[in-house]
Amino acid sequence: MALLRQISTKAGINVKSITLRCCTKMLSTEITDEKLIEKKQGGYAQAFDKFESLKNEENKEPYQTFASLLRNSKLIDLGDPEGKVVKGKIFHVVGDDLYIDFGWKFHCVCPRPKKHASDYVRGSKVRILIKELELSSKFLGYEKDITLLEADCVLLGLAQDRSKNVQ
Amino acid sequence: MFSVVHLPKKLNKSTLLNTIRLSSTVLQTQDTVPTLPDAENLQKNTLNHPDYFSVHNLFTVKDLFDARVHYGHRDGSLDERMLPYIYGSRLGHIIFDLDKTAEYLRRALNFAAHVAYRDGIILFFLRGAQNSHLVEKTAQECGEFAHTKFWRGGIFTNASKQFGAVTRLPDLCIFLNTLNNVLLQHTAVRDSAKMGIATIGIVDSNCNPNLITYPVPGNDDSPASIELYCKLFKMAILRGKEKRKIDLQL
Repeated sequence: MALLRQISTKAGINVKSITLRCCTKMLSTEITDEKLIEKKQGGYAQAFDKFESLKNEENKEPYQTFASLLRNSKLIDLGDPEGKVVKGKIFHVVGDDLYIDFGWKFHCVCPRPKKHASDYVRGSKVRILIKELELSSKFLGYEKDITLLEADCVLLGLAQDRSKNVQ
Repeated sequence: MFSVVHLPKKLNKSTLLNTIRLSSTVLQTQDTVPTLPDAENLQKNTLNHPDYFSVHNLFTVKDLFDARVHYGHRDGSLDERMLPYIYGSRLGHIIFDLDKTAEYLRRALNFAAHVAYRDGIILFFLRGAQNSHLVEKTAQECGEFAHTKFWRGGIFTNASKQFGAVTRLPDLCIFLNTLNNVLLQHTAVRDSAKMGIATIGIVDSNCNPNLITYPVPGNDDSPASIELYCKLFKMAILRGKEKRKIDLQL
């Protein structure tokens, strides 16, 4: 019944004429002689609609250009990478070598420290000091650099997980 | 059918499947045009459509950014031929222009989907142990092939001698990185060009994009980027195959 009224107010057609076209038994019992009353939404209904649409809009992120994405990225915030401390995560362990990914193109490999040695496992968050973002330099006789496809960092220790979300 | 004894020892699964596919008695449907009344129109419509498989909206520039696709190597290892694709260099590290990368990647995905639509053989290449398994799994999931091991010289150029019978070569080679383990260009790039096989290649700042039909400038070293490419190519290929089923009413 409520649906019918919505349809009639939007289309501006009398309720009866719609039900004549729809040949369903369900609708035929709903025919009444009510006049069309334009319903003005009450205060609660207005507020409800407003906040419902707000929820939908929050999901859509505003379109960002590549230039603005880059300008606001962590790489630009870093500045000169040498000597900066960043947070990384261990994604692989081979014996005493820890492979740490810190959001850059390459990972770094650091030896396991003596203190709290057993705490360094796959998935541990660590703090590292960057010495070089990419181990690549020109060797004598070559025109181009030769890269080792790795970053050069020093492992400082474990990082405290200060995120607000309880995982 | 071949008996396995006669095949060379270094033969791997991908090339074996290639030869089995050729020698099997199942009808090869890729050359026959569908015998529907408007078959010619169908072909024209699919080829002239700018994005028949809707691959343009498979990703956004933000997705590329989050997958670290814009990171390049250092200035010192930059190949001059990659200059048109580069946004700039940040304290010695090359940054790719993701707007251009997005355009090239869309073209490549569209092409891959079209090849899959016409029942072509697609061969994935990657050299690098870290992501090899992922690429092989991707190829398996989309019903195509992968080659992530050492590439012997004459696989494309001397195929009939090496496999002992007439072979069908791939119709598309997708290089998820174009350099091999010693940072020289993968032989298959040159060999595909020689044999007239179309190639799609992810070219990093130290690669040569000349011989590749559809280059996609971007990062090929981070596992995050490789995962993204694998996912996108898999989706494009699967969409192409789905459309083929629908259009030919199989």
